[in-house]
Amino acid sequence: MKNYLAGFIVLLYLGLLGYLYLDISRKNTFPSRPISIIVHSKPGSAIDFMARKVTEIARKYNDVAFVVENRTGTQGLVAMQHVLDSKADGYTLLGVTKSFLSTVMVNKSKVNLDDFLFLANMVSDPEALISNKNRGFHSLEDIILDARRKNYSQVWMGPGTGSRDHLMAMKCWETLGIKAKWIDYKSGPQSILALMRDEAAVYVGNPADVKGKDGLSIISIASKKRLASLPDVPTFIEQGYDLDESMWRGFAYKKGVPDEAVEFVTGILQKVVKDEEWINYCNNSYVFSNFEGPEEFTRRVTEETAETDRYLNKAGLLVTYIRESPLPPALIFLLILTGVFLLLFLSIRFKIKQLNYDQLVAGGIITVSLFFLYQTFLFNIPGTVNITSPSLIPRIWIIILIFLSSLLIYRSKSKTEHIETSSPGIVWAIIALLLGYLASMQWVGYYITTPVFILSVMYILNYRRFNIMAVNAFGFVLFSYIIFNQLLHIDLPLGWWFM
Amino acid sequence: MGIFQDLWAGMQEFGQFLPILMMLVGVVIGIIVGVLPGLSPSIGVALMLPVTFGLDAISALVLLVSVYLASNYGGSITAIAINTPGTPGAVATTFDGYELTKKGKPLHALLTSLTASTVGGLVGTIILILFSVPLAKLALSFESYEYFALGVFGLTIISSLAGKSPLKGFISSGIGLLLVTIGFDTELPFSRFSLGIPDLADGIEFIPALIGLFALGEIFYSIEKGDYREKRKSAEVNLSDTLPVKQLVKLKTVILKSSVIGTLVGCIPGAGGTIATFIAYDQAKNSSKHPEEFGKGSLEGVAAPEAANNGSVGGALVPLLTLGIPGSASTAVLIGALMIHKLNPGPELFNKEAGLVYGIFISLFFANIFMFLIGLLGNKLWIKIIAAPKSLLYPIILALSFIGSYFIQNSVFDVGVCIAFGIMGWLLKRGDFPTAPVVLGLILGKMIEENLRLSLVKGEWIEFFTRPGSLIIILLAVISFFMPYLKKKWLSFNKKK
Repeated sequence: MKNYLAGFIVLLYLGLLGYLYLDISRKNTFPSRPISIIVHSKPGSAIDFMARKVTEIARKYNDVAFVVENRTGTQGLVAMQHVLDSKADGYTLLGVTKSFLSTVMVNKSKVNLDDFLFLANMVSDPEALISNKNRGFHSLEDIILDARRKNYSQVWMGPGTGSRDHLMAMKCWETLGIKAKWIDYKSGPQSILALMRDEAAVYVGNPADVKGKDGLSIISIASKKRLASLPDVPTFIEQGYDLDESMWRGFAYKKGVPDEAVEFVTGILQKVVKDEEWINYCNNSYVFSNFEGPEEFTRRVTEETAETDRYLNKAGLLVTYIRESPLPPALIFLLILTGVFLLLFLSIRFKIKQLNYDQLVAGGIITVSLFFLYQTFLFNIPGTVNITSPSLIPRIWIIILIFLSSLLIYRSKSKTEHIETSSPGIVWAIIALLLGYLASMQWVGYYITTPVFILSVMYILNYRRFNIMAVNAFGFVLFSYIIFNQLLHIDLPLGWWFM
Repeated sequence: MGIFQDLWAGMQEFGQFLPILMMLVGVVIGIIVGVLPGLSPSIGVALMLPVTFGLDAISALVLLVSVYLASNYGGSITAIAINTPGTPGAVATTFDGYELTKKGKPLHALLTSLTASTVGGLVGTIILILFSVPLAKLALSFESYEYFALGVFGLTIISSLAGKSPLKGFISSGIGLLLVTIGFDTELPFSRFSLGIPDLADGIEFIPALIGLFALGEIFYSIEKGDYREKRKSAEVNLSDTLPVKQLVKLKTVILKSSVIGTLVGCIPGAGGTIATFIAYDQAKNSSKHPEEFGKGSLEGVAAPEAANNGSVGGALVPLLTLGIPGSASTAVLIGALMIHKLNPGPELFNKEAGLVYGIFISLFFANIFMFLIGLLGNKLWIKIIAAPKSLLYPIILALSFIGSYFIQNSVFDVGVCIAFGIMGWLLKRGDFPTAPVVLGLILGKMIEENLRLSLVKGEWIEFFTRPGSLIIILLAVISFFMPYLKKKWLSFNKKK
């Protein structure tokens, strides 16, 4: 009975492999498979939302599906790098926002915006000054008067240091002829909460931030004209200050994508922006639909890059935050390691056998802590920003860890604990298998490497009933295909080798 | 009368074919998401988001909220069965849940967790319906000073988590606190301690680290001890060994108290259910008649975190629906879902769409009950899985952990993080260093640093003690820190008498 079941499961597995891999070998004209839109932030964020809306509307005009894929990390660098690492075959589109300009500069990343083809700018989301109604601000003049009265101690806030909102604040101060203090509240929601508590005079954000909330009012938006959905909110220009600053969101390809793909995607996007549903979406999220093709969009990016550079410099944020280590970090680590364990051995007079496990672990922890401590001495903080030092908290943890670990070494001096072990070798073999699985999955794909991995671990663990092993290993792959691929719509990788 | 009218309107919204169907589907998917390590509630909700595009508003929200609720329960199943918290909120459940499994009483643990989750969810929902407006004030009153104090309060829980050696417990938490400083500085745009490695620039991803510490660490440790060679005796897992209702009734105080803790902490934006589970565990231990059983398989130790975890779901909806502020990663996705259906979260929603809001509340109520029924059925299946030979079970858990860490952001580096933390968990475990404090350090480190530094930019350090909110929490922290020692002294003093 079990043999039949095993045979059946293996057959099903082979069927699945055939289905998955024969499908990708059927290549014809562009596009032959769904186009991924890589988004740098979490589901539900403004750009994710826009990408999903485009996907939804595009379905009306073409059978080809767009799939939104969230690759978060390092303010967008992870997503940008992913697109640059992918083939320029037109199947990987990047959702881009204006914040990428400062991200690349501040992080001194090797990602170069010139490697992207800025395909289409979709929306323009005007920057806005928002304050709590309790303040009684009705116009920019009110803010200016208050700023003068407070003698430059007026507080402005928003998420991020060196973020678009921060740069907008600096631009405002320049235009309005005032000075104020910027407090970074890290995240959008925390900023809005602080604004609701009236902790700051002005919050720099976007009009959509006030949606559905009581007690907040938009003083001014930085666009050329008023928003149709917010007809009562005046612009800077109307109030006599020439300031036009918006967050844009659009799409880019890696350079070198075939013309066929560029035309195809631009064509669809042009249809999307004329769709009624799109216009509704824009009005509802308080943004302007502002389609720009590759030429215009690229020109905008070039101009705004220069401007961003100027403001980041002015804020003193384009400095080298970490000084070059005089010796390679790995060497420093080895030196500390040698030092710590030399001391340990000295303290027990070179009787290596007396060093117990606790002391080994504590020695390791002290080594790592000292290595972190060394790195804090390389931090180079510009004097222009008024903050507590970034090394303060890490140093507190480091000192506590070193103290407690030394205490542990001292206390466990006399005892030599014996740890009951029977087979650490097998553990290392399994760790090696895991690493092998990790390395090969990218190339050969999930569906082929997984059963191999599971079967080998079972074998190492001395399991020998082969029919049950087969049911487990191949059954697991089938199960994960159904759960991940079919139920949760997560694509498991098929391997670069076959693509 | 207002509330009854609203509830009636909600009943009419929810009481239709599609919303009810979506609730059923959501609960089942939620449990699956919770069980799979790596798929946290927020990822589960995000994965379901595209499905809701085609639905009407109430069905869409019911689906997402049900997934959110049930995944918080599902995480406890793997925590109990295989010491792998399926979700971050289930970390505290492993302390006693897995111990019970090792003692051959997994069904006791599973039933307790299911009951506590259900009651916690119901209590959270009732509090949400009755007190969302005053709770919104609580959420709003939390400034950086209070967040900092809450973080410190969270750290004091280590004194009751540490087990045999408090010193080792504190060292473990220090490791977590130090490792979480890797990544972007909380004020300046530069990455600390990442040694120029791009994947490390944002710091260590939490969920792969969690899976590594618990799932991989435990497997490596067990394999080293050679326990995969043991033949499982069928008597060890007794299928007919059900938990008498009497024992569950005894847990009522712990469950109710923890549910309220969960709801309250859950409604503070950014604090979240995971911190709530630790606080509830600590409180349960401090007020228990048998604190010595905690960590060795106490049913109270399973009930407390689970009730808090599901209570936090109702809590997390408070700032979302009343202020329009997402308090957690999952509710951030719910905001997206609301906006897709042209609804603005916030006070406006209560006024304009009372039927919808109360429809969601009612669906939460029924989702809890349905979750209980599905959970009862599921327990039989989980017990069978636990009874499987370990040499078959371990490779599957390893593969699941592997996919779990990979799919959080399709990153090979994260799988590496998972393996590295697995090795660390193993090395710590074989020296009797508890691993839970590492997780606590990872969770709280950022909150402590961010809010301390923000507070110092805004004002003076003295405000930590002059603001009533932060002062109360700091005092609670001091009490909670010394409680285990005082209690020991008190008990021995009484014995002498």
